[in-house]
Amino acid sequence: MKFLFASLLLTTASLAAPAVQAGAALDDIKSGDALVCLVSPNAPGFSVPDSQGVFQGFNADFCRMAAAAVLGDAAKADIRGVGFSDSMKTLVARGGHLASRSITATGTRDADAGMAFIATTFFDGQGFMVPAALGVSAAADLQGATVCAEDGSTTLLTLADWFADRGMSYRVENIADKTARLEAFFSGKCDVYASDVTALNSDRMLAANPDDYVILPDVISAEPLTLVSQPDQELESAVFWAFQVMLNADKFGITSGTIDDVIADLDSQPQEVARLFAADGAGADMAAKLGLPADWAYQVVKQVGSYSEVFDRHLGMNSPFKLDRTKTLNASVEEGGLMYPYPIR
Amino acid sequence: MIPPSPPPPASWKFSVRDALIAAGAVTLAGLAVWNVLQNMQGAGLAPGFAFLWQGAGFDVSETLVPYSPADPYARAILAGTLNTLFLAAVSLVLATVVGLIVGLMSVGPSPIARAVAGAYVEIFRNLPKLLVLLVLFVAAVTGLPHVRQALSLGPVHLSNRSLLFPVPVLEPGHALVLAAFGAGCGACWLLARHFARRREAGQAAPPLWPFVLLALGGLPLAVALGLGLPFAWSVPQLAGFDYEGGARVSLQFMVIAVTLALYHGAQIGEVVRGGISAIPRGQTEAAHAIGLTPRQATRYIVVPQAVRIIVPSMNNQYVNLIKNTSIAIAVGYSDLMSVSGTVINQTFRPLEMMLLTMAVYLAICLCVTTQLNRINDRLRLKEGRA
Repeated sequence: MKFLFASLLLTTASLAAPAVQAGAALDDIKSGDALVCLVSPNAPGFSVPDSQGVFQGFNADFCRMAAAAVLGDAAKADIRGVGFSDSMKTLVARGGHLASRSITATGTRDADAGMAFIATTFFDGQGFMVPAALGVSAAADLQGATVCAEDGSTTLLTLADWFADRGMSYRVENIADKTARLEAFFSGKCDVYASDVTALNSDRMLAANPDDYVILPDVISAEPLTLVSQPDQELESAVFWAFQVMLNADKFGITSGTIDDVIADLDSQPQEVARLFAADGAGADMAAKLGLPADWAYQVVKQVGSYSEVFDRHLGMNSPFKLDRTKTLNASVEEGGLMYPYPIR
Repeated sequence: MIPPSPPPPASWKFSVRDALIAAGAVTLAGLAVWNVLQNMQGAGLAPGFAFLWQGAGFDVSETLVPYSPADPYARAILAGTLNTLFLAAVSLVLATVVGLIVGLMSVGPSPIARAVAGAYVEIFRNLPKLLVLLVLFVAAVTGLPHVRQALSLGPVHLSNRSLLFPVPVLEPGHALVLAAFGAGCGACWLLARHFARRREAGQAAPPLWPFVLLALGGLPLAVALGLGLPFAWSVPQLAGFDYEGGARVSLQFMVIAVTLALYHGAQIGEVVRGGISAIPRGQTEAAHAIGLTPRQATRYIVVPQAVRIIVPSMNNQYVNLIKNTSIAIAVGYSDLMSVSGTVINQTFRPLEMMLLTMAVYLAICLCVTTQLNRINDRLRLKEGRA
């Protein structure tokens, strides 16, 4: 097994050396008529099996996006739950085509020849929440503060680094029980609550009066959660641009519900929309060059939806998490976030 | 009535059956270790403890020794172990006091006291201790005032964060004062021995206490005054978000100690009640018949016999209490379990850390058991001696 793994690594490395991939992974998806996509076995909101054993969630929908773009059918995504480090090993060993499972893109991981990072679907990072009455407007004012954080988490490490780098003193309350931790914060035993910004947003809702608490603008760690595939330039392009289609759909206010109306009356749409969906537009041109179904952009929006649609369905206002996307880094550039739709022309 | 001393252990004899059982056990253990090592090697992991000297990089909530994230994992584990020991020691004393009071109440003459003790024991014996801990923690953290409105009694402040009080800070020269105190102790011991010998020899000896006062109080005080008092007080002062200076006992420490005292107090109370109830009524009646007062009967007849029954069960209680300090992780007291959990998450060395943590708990519990067994041996009725 070890030998097999090593030889696979070697093969991958030797194949990765030439600049252009022959599109082996994309060919494999087409010949098998299925896109094997790896997700976390149990991440509420991101990927959880439903009563039929089919994975549902924010990350699972990006598996469907890739299948809709490459095979024209979102249902042809073969979504499998795999543990974190195993999913990376599986990709390297070519046991899966794509991984959509909250993997933080880091330099050392990208340097690995067996993996290609494609597009960041979720920007997260560690932040701070404070009582509004404290009058603190930035993390730099937290000298000497007591910080509540989850026991045993990497949050503790990021905190220690951040305060040490600034020569600031602080006191930590590393409480394992979530109820005890939140009670400690809401009753003022801690001045500050530290966690990933996504978690802060949903935890704030648990306060008796959420408006009494504010999330500081400082994000002290970067967690760009990114789609990863086997190295295959054509597959990477297809997945990257499928994601851009979802962002562009948001830019023009197109959803899975309205896309049919848009297609029916393309002439009255903005030029960019027409170029994306018209039979002789840039979208169709890309499809021919990458070997995708001609209506791939339409299928992505029709079967999966726009980015904000997917976000709201699983994490936002239409979900139990009630995350306000426009207040996270995942807002569009126009809303002050990092989601920047690339032009398709 | 009184537990008889156990029979002396039979002298060991070789038997084929014992040898086979031992060989089987050793083989099984060996196979388990071999299997784990093989699997770890397969996953590219080499077991070892060298990682203990790498920088820890995380903070813990309170420590008895100076600690910073730049220190190695080994020091973080030491800090966690000391926290566990401190919590266990304080909880042990509190639980024993609570248990004695509850036990004496439940065998006392007052029906009200008996009912209160009975209700207390039933409530705390039948609730999960983690639930008790969380309820008390949430009650304390929401019930006590915020640090800015702390309840203050002079320089002592109590808030939902901590209890703060002033402590003396040592300045250069304090070693001489401590040396004077040490010399005083030595002098007292010598004097006490000398006086005791004189009394044994039938000679008169003056009372000891004025000398003790002079040697332990007067001598160090004179030295301290002579050096211009080489101590300063560190007093808690409100600065920024919190108080600075002084010494602090965190709220979670107090809540866990109280939880363990209440929980194990109920169990120890039952042990005490059982021990006293086991002394037959006839013993007390006989004591009264020979003219002892009820107080004397309790002190000279009941208690000495009850203690022999109570001590072996206390051994069990104390070991349980020490292990139960590990629930501290839920409310943010950085004990051994909390620190080792964080170390495992950082280093992905679960096997080594679990072995190390088990070894530390085992060592602590075995020390306590050994000491209590020694006490037990001393108390036991010795056969063949008058």
